[in-house]
Amino acid sequence: MRNSLRVLRAERRWSQAELADRLGVSRQTINAIETGRYDPSLPLAFAIGRLVGQPVERIFFDDDDGGSRTP
Amino acid sequence: MRALHSRQEARVLKLDSSARSSLAGVVWFAVAALASVVGSALGRLAGAHTMDPAFPARLLGTCMLASFVVAGSSIWRMVRCRADSWLLPLAALNLALLEPGRAGDATTWRAEWAVGGVAATAAAVALFGRLLARTDELQRRIYIDGAALGLLMALPLAMAYALFESWLPELRAQWVTISLLLLWWAGWLLTSFRYRYGTTP
Repeated sequence: MRNSLRVLRAERRWSQAELADRLGVSRQTINAIETGRYDPSLPLAFAIGRLVGQPVERIFFDDDDGGSRTP
Repeated sequence: MRALHSRQEARVLKLDSSARSSLAGVVWFAVAALASVVGSALGRLAGAHTMDPAFPARLLGTCMLASFVVAGSSIWRMVRCRADSWLLPLAALNLALLEPGRAGDATTWRAEWAVGGVAATAAAVALFGRLLARTDELQRRIYIDGAALGLLMALPLAMAYALFESWLPELRAQWVTISLLLLWWAGWLLTSFRYRYGTTP
């Protein structure tokens, strides 16, 4: 599973710590999600979607999608 | 998609340093460990001379309590630094220090030592459980994966002990608990390292 969280975060000028605070998780969690080492739970994925104003499927996508959904 | 190479964005993308927090956690762990060692040493000394009226056992007992208060407040600071994983080796150390067998032959002092050990462990377990309930999903997963890895590492140790039992000292229940705590911590370190620096799946 890949995601565009790093790009979305950078567009909003948020640091990892700032995003982590907004989501109520640790910075390590944000880092692990961004680097693809950890796939978040559905509630966290939806919380991320709500926060950045994007549907979940535009933030997280399967490797087979070839990155075509990157905003 | 916009290019992400401007200086401002590079600053935003840069990993936030948590090194200061980690270092503070290690420092508070060291203070708590040292205070625990000093406290237990003073307690043992006071207990060994409890019948000697010339020995300042009461003074040493007070110093022991003060050391444990320092250890307790250091633990609190450690948790505030989010260095909660250090509670595992600290609990193992305190279990080893407060082993009733270390308290000498006085039955009363042995009982007090045992109660102290159980109370300290119970407090650590309660604090750890509360922290675990408040951590986020990845942290909780790291602890659970770490516990599983620790149990896995305990298997070859148990087999090795069974093989070399006649050459090794007699196994004590307290040592098993200490080993499990340390193995859990080792598992936590390995799992945490994997999520931080491991290869991307």
